[in-house]
Amino acid sequence: MKKVLKDESGKRIHPYVPELVNQLRKGEIDRREFLRTTTLLGVSATAAYAMAGKITGESLVAPAQAQTPKKGGTLRASQRVQRMDDPATYDWVPMSNQTRAILEYIVVTGNDNVTRPYLAESWEASDDLKTWTFNLNKGIKWSNGDAFGADDVVHNFTRWLDPATGSSNQGLFSAMTEEYDTGMKNDDGTAKMGKKMSTGAVEKVNDTTVRLHLNRAVLSIPENLFNYPTAIVHKAFDDMGADLSKNPIGTGPYSLGDFSVGERCQLKRRSEAYWGGEIYLDEILYLDHGDDPNAAINALESGQVDQVFEVPITQLQRAEGIKDVVVYDVVTAQTAVARMKVGIAPFDNLKLRQALVAATDHQKLLEVAYFGRGAPGEDHHVAPIHPEYFALPMVKQDYNRAKALLAEAGYGSGIQLTLDVNNSSAWEVSAAEAWKAQLGPAGIDLQVNVMPGAQYWDIWTTTPLGLTTWTHRPLGVMVLNLAYRTGVPWNESGFADAKFDALLDDASATLDINERRKKMEGIEKLLQEQAVFMQPLWRSVFTAAHKKVKNFGAHPTAYHLWHDLWLDA
Amino acid sequence: MLIFIVRRLGSMLLVMIAVSLLIFIVLEAQPGQVATKVLGPYSSQEQRDIWMEKNGYSRPIHERYVTWIGNFFTGDLGKSTRFKQPVNDILWPRLGNTALLALLTMMLVVPISLTLGVLAGMREGSSTDRSISFLSIFTTSVPEMASAPMLAAVFLSLLGWLPGTSGFSYGHPLQSLDGFPWIGINWQTVPELVMPVLVLVLYDFGYVTRMTRASMAEVMQTHYIRTAVLKGLPYKRVIVKHALRNALIAPFTIIMLQINWLLSGVIVTEYFFAYKGFGALLLEAALNQDIFVIEACAMVAVFVSVTTQTLSDVAYTYLNPRIRFS
Repeated sequence: MKKVLKDESGKRIHPYVPELVNQLRKGEIDRREFLRTTTLLGVSATAAYAMAGKITGESLVAPAQAQTPKKGGTLRASQRVQRMDDPATYDWVPMSNQTRAILEYIVVTGNDNVTRPYLAESWEASDDLKTWTFNLNKGIKWSNGDAFGADDVVHNFTRWLDPATGSSNQGLFSAMTEEYDTGMKNDDGTAKMGKKMSTGAVEKVNDTTVRLHLNRAVLSIPENLFNYPTAIVHKAFDDMGADLSKNPIGTGPYSLGDFSVGERCQLKRRSEAYWGGEIYLDEILYLDHGDDPNAAINALESGQVDQVFEVPITQLQRAEGIKDVVVYDVVTAQTAVARMKVGIAPFDNLKLRQALVAATDHQKLLEVAYFGRGAPGEDHHVAPIHPEYFALPMVKQDYNRAKALLAEAGYGSGIQLTLDVNNSSAWEVSAAEAWKAQLGPAGIDLQVNVMPGAQYWDIWTTTPLGLTTWTHRPLGVMVLNLAYRTGVPWNESGFADAKFDALLDDASATLDINERRKKMEGIEKLLQEQAVFMQPLWRSVFTAAHKKVKNFGAHPTAYHLWHDLWLDA
Repeated sequence: MLIFIVRRLGSMLLVMIAVSLLIFIVLEAQPGQVATKVLGPYSSQEQRDIWMEKNGYSRPIHERYVTWIGNFFTGDLGKSTRFKQPVNDILWPRLGNTALLALLTMMLVVPISLTLGVLAGMREGSSTDRSISFLSIFTTSVPEMASAPMLAAVFLSLLGWLPGTSGFSYGHPLQSLDGFPWIGINWQTVPELVMPVLVLVLYDFGYVTRMTRASMAEVMQTHYIRTAVLKGLPYKRVIVKHALRNALIAPFTIIMLQINWLLSGVIVTEYFFAYKGFGALLLEAALNQDIFVIEACAMVAVFVSVTTQTLSDVAYTYLNPRIRFS
């Protein structure tokens, strides 16, 4: 019989945790990786910090704050003010920021990229990573006085996985879905299949315990539960019209005040004590300054706001020069990939794809498009900050090889290609133009077709060659599963490789970070060899706040975790 | 006169119908595109199919047009695909904001332009005329995309006198007062209006000044003015009593057309200063292909355009009875 490990309180510990302790002791993993993986396996953050502290000698307690937090004041922030109807259908981060002070998540991934329980007090994963049990905090109340519990969580999973909701969470939790006949027909007369929640995928164990049953091992369930459309709504959300802005019932410390899409979103601290601790700000006010980044920086400079959502690289120097303003940067896994539609000519030609990559100097692209503030891309979409990143030798620009590959591809006399680029980020347009210049000497005439963001998002999965933005995700396997697995909705390149899928399955079910890292070597190499995309760079992300805003930290996905902010007015 | 007005209104209606048809075909010919816009780029084909079926997008385009135009005339402008709110809730406040900007601009442009134009036209070729002409040509030649950052650089970054954006950070400039039937001014927001109004005034007054000057100069060359002067009437009386009335007919038409420009031609200014106006809304809707907002904005812009044009024609005819129309 298998021995069940338990901690001092009698709570089951995942059997892999002792191995992690060993690895930390031997120095095979660092403290950050230890914290990330142990918390992922259900060890509470406090216990994980305590274990790490005992081994490394580093203090459990954060350095004492130099100042005592002051209560009161309004934090004015510049970001787009967007719709706040159904959080499950959110498609932009600013929507979730407006909501994050009202609705909360089962877990929280902090600025340090470590995921911790939040509405849940703990979780446990089965050894095969197919069963996940979440123990919810007791005593949490909704703002309408109802008790928060398992019914709410079950309701959220149910609506996320209902195709009628139209939530991107369906893809995120695809291991909890099964195919069904929609009753509609394809053009060829065959039955149109859809996906819905598989029977018994979510189980209410008791009022404060929920269990998820997956049809395959998934390592990143906790991380997925902090993806922005997974905010937990009240179980009667749909009965009340499924519109948060009209019925802003939440478990968070703020309530919705004045709200006008495209203009302002006022969040007022609730009068009742917050279950999660002390809240200092009286009010958070989001002001919309449009899409022009210049306007937001103008607002910061003239003191109309205390914080801006993002400082684009083109405005960085200016922001750094504003008096009393602090610029924060965070290393992220945010990027863009010039992905090729591998099933469509001419990109079905491997040699051509390889020629494009061989003619690329990633370091130069980083310098030209992003002033060197980030890391060069390596064409495999696993970032140096991902825990499972395996460092491969940097790919060097080689025009002779590029020309030879082009000739082998049948384009010895050159080829003209068009790259579709969306204009919402200036750096992406710069990167595309710089790439065009690099490809020229190899005999590739790249036409850069810049278009409005909305237009690009209409064609992002169909254009033969397009530069697509990808946001930060805490684990490398998360993005690979979303973007390159055969047949998944966001596989924009149409890449389909059984070997890759098998390797990814294997890595995605591997807890041991060193083992997983070794497995990533094969995955990364395979993507490079197949030249599915050219990835110019990994970008650091910048934000700025007035120095009076205390406890401020930049999040790699620009999520606002502002419960402990205060103003030193 | 009545027949003229009826004809004008008829042609106005025809233009509106033609434009509405064009807008509808361009934006809604492909139902799949509408579903993608409503549900977002990450929606699955299955989700789009369900939406199209549910919202009547499987019907032929002419049926859908009739429904759409019917809804439009009964005040149902649809729901913004970006904001997920009724277009009515977004459009009219934005139009009101732009009207406020236009009103403030016109309150400055009209007296300044008419005064300077008349002064310049009274003595064509004089140093006053040359100075005013230089100033008006210079300001009109600088587009808003240049004057806006220049003014921001001076008044925000250099002097720190004015706020950098005009997004009503402290609330709307016009606020209803508790217990009072009238509207009060929110003085905290007023500084935010200065720079956008300044940019528009600088760009617009030169043009109206030039038109007024040309008209005044032309009137000053006429026989009846010469006769009045030679008859020994005081110069001031000649100008005020005889010249001005005729000289202001042409500028009146120009000013009417500026209303149209101030509605949909102020996109750059509104965008730069994050002003929550109609122009910025139109731009954002176009960039994000917010179908129902584009349709509504386009129809409103066309309506304002043909209405101001018609009003201008009618008023011009009224002011100048010599004009014959068929």
